[in-house]
Amino acid sequence: MNSAAEVRQESDRHATKKPFAAIFSRPEIGPIGVMLLLFGMLGYFSIPAAEDTWNPFAGEGFNALGIRNNLRVISQLGIISLGAGLLIIAGEFDLSIGSMIGFAGACMAMTLRWGFAILIPYISFDGGIHLEFFTLISLEPVTPITAIFITLCFTLTFGWLQGFIVVKTGLPSFIVTLGGLFFLRGLTEVTLRAFNKKPNQSAGSTTVTEIPDIKNIINLPGHGEIERQAAKMLPETELSDLAKSLPADLVAKITERLEYTAQRVADAKTGIMEAKGVKPLENALENAINSKNEYMINAIKDKIANFKINPVPPKDVTEVDIAKAYLDTLPSVNQVANFFGGDILEPVFDWLYFPIDWNVNNFGNQFAPGLYSCVMIWVLLSIICYIVLSRTQAGNWIYSTGGNLSAAQANGVPTNKVKISLFVFSAFCATVFAACQVFEVNTADAAKGNLKELEAIAAAVIGGIVMTGGFGTILGIIVGAFIFGLAKEAFFYIPGIDGSFYRVFLGGVIVLSAMLNENIRKRIMGNI
Amino acid sequence: MSQTLEIPLIKTINLAKKFGAFTALNGVDLEIYPGEVHALLGDNGAGKSTLIKILSGVFPATSGDIQIEGNSVKFASPRDASDAGIGTVYQDLALNALTSVTRNFFLGRELRTFNNPFGLMKMKEMDRIASAEMAKIGINIADPEQPVGTMSGGQRQTLAIARAIYFGAKVLILDEPTSALGQKQQMEVLKTIKRVQQLGDIAIILITHNEIHARLIADRFTFLSLGEVIGSGTANDLAGDDIKTLMAGGTEIGDLAKELEAV
Repeated sequence: MNSAAEVRQESDRHATKKPFAAIFSRPEIGPIGVMLLLFGMLGYFSIPAAEDTWNPFAGEGFNALGIRNNLRVISQLGIISLGAGLLIIAGEFDLSIGSMIGFAGACMAMTLRWGFAILIPYISFDGGIHLEFFTLISLEPVTPITAIFITLCFTLTFGWLQGFIVVKTGLPSFIVTLGGLFFLRGLTEVTLRAFNKKPNQSAGSTTVTEIPDIKNIINLPGHGEIERQAAKMLPETELSDLAKSLPADLVAKITERLEYTAQRVADAKTGIMEAKGVKPLENALENAINSKNEYMINAIKDKIANFKINPVPPKDVTEVDIAKAYLDTLPSVNQVANFFGGDILEPVFDWLYFPIDWNVNNFGNQFAPGLYSCVMIWVLLSIICYIVLSRTQAGNWIYSTGGNLSAAQANGVPTNKVKISLFVFSAFCATVFAACQVFEVNTADAAKGNLKELEAIAAAVIGGIVMTGGFGTILGIIVGAFIFGLAKEAFFYIPGIDGSFYRVFLGGVIVLSAMLNENIRKRIMGNI
Repeated sequence: MSQTLEIPLIKTINLAKKFGAFTALNGVDLEIYPGEVHALLGDNGAGKSTLIKILSGVFPATSGDIQIEGNSVKFASPRDASDAGIGTVYQDLALNALTSVTRNFFLGRELRTFNNPFGLMKMKEMDRIASAEMAKIGINIADPEQPVGTMSGGQRQTLAIARAIYFGAKVLILDEPTSALGQKQQMEVLKTIKRVQQLGDIAIILITHNEIHARLIADRFTFLSLGEVIGSGTANDLAGDDIKTLMAGGTEIGDLAKELEAV
């Protein structure tokens, strides 16, 4: 053995990393490529037929409203795939997410609508044996924060129970949470029908409506707490009194903005009318060209060139308008409801309309008021999950619980606690999803969240989570949610194609991703 | 290297274990000294695994006594044994192949900023310690962030041993560390064991089937057969032939040749 071979170390056999190798060996690189492709598709296919451009950002998918709606779909899915993904990394499954969404939404809506009480039944002997109820707690009306808290008590307990059953019995979580899927959906329907029955009905409805628009309740002096829409419907005299009571600089600011809007709307109307007025002339020109009548062609061309209509005058800004605009700026009284169901980034979207002149629809009005609040919640949850998974001890425990359970146990990792906590977290994510829906649309339905558990798992798998556990990142889960949501939207815009083709596409992507993930996992395990 | 005058680091007195009617261990006396490699040899079913599982706290002994530096101890769990300074490196090494060297090195005992599982890990410090501790017993890892799955079997052994030592193991129990490894990696592991031995204050219990490996590095031998000690002594006490014979459980291995001819 010569001396050169003597000093050679095992570590020498690892080639030094090339500069970009670190980027390309990351498991998210494939999904990110697919995501960018879908971004392009969404942009390109959503370009209106009349416009002749290749710029994907000209498409409807990327106008203000498009961004608002797409991000809503993506972030709602993103919230639940965080819960599902973390659980898969720890080696378990949760199929009850979808039913949990329905259950949580119904629970929240019912407590908001009818209040909450804990009754203890007992047998009474006064006047014959019968059941009576002792009211332990009775809350009415229930505030949003209390409704969410009560719902969390139920959902987190159920998540804990599922986790407890899985770790204590050693049953596959697939079967335990499959039970949860049916149990919760059934429980939701049964409860809703029981509570939601009008006297003249034999079976109640599984939909809860007539919940006030809590996120839009404002505090208006003289009227107390009032819904924004109701405030705008007040008698005109009252509204103009309100406008008069405002400070002058605020009035000036609102007036400037309203005049801008009035001018934009008038311009848009003028444009539409011009297009309408020119249309018959253009038809006539076409006929003239067909009949090769040189004189007529020139005459009509001349007419088209000189075609003018009187510009539509902008609408006057009245005190009522100012008062209504002012009402829009008043903050919500209930910030909890606003946190889940309201809008965010409104100042930015206002700024994009005035003065940037981008966030404008075809009729000259502001297109999107802001982003849905669930986007912010998704971002917050993602950041927290990222820090926990990749930077904390808990994250290392999650990876090792899914990667090698016996190794984790041998090193003193409380694997049962890890698993149960993640079942609870999955239930938490489903509840947050439900809260976002309930406070946004102010209704709940027993069918809400159907199949969401599978979408969440699909998004996680697409994002590079390995089904056997121990492998995956939060960035991957985020990208997975983007791919799922973008595919849904992009295929909708492809002309002459059935919207359901996105499912066909995603089916292929899921299997391909799973194959790719398995390949990466094997490479890391040293099996290739 | 005779240190018989010292107090043994760990000593078992008449240790016995019964599983119902079956006697797995029938009164085993064992003395382990710091700085020594103590080879525990015996055929399958001799009671080696039972013995190390009692020592590492997996289950309690039916009777008998374990003494650490002269004091009697009782282990209720593997945690107790590990707190008392007994580090066990099992055959499967208790490593998560999908995560990095550092994450495995500190698995379950991560350095963190707050005393809470949600405290941030001190990743840089952990990287540094993991590299340094592995270098101490002879393996330079190129990148402490490389997944354990990409390491060779020998390197994984080293990682598991370095981890046990760093977290306070005074007695290191190595359960067949060279089985299931290639020739070259077996040599690596033996070198690692030698380096640990040379640290001087750590006692090593080496369980092995490989007589050659035992003879290469062990200072003291104990032979088990059918739950009893059938021979023990220092490397100098035992002549070469004895080891082979005792390992086979005391029967004359030489007869095997004749028996095979007769088949």
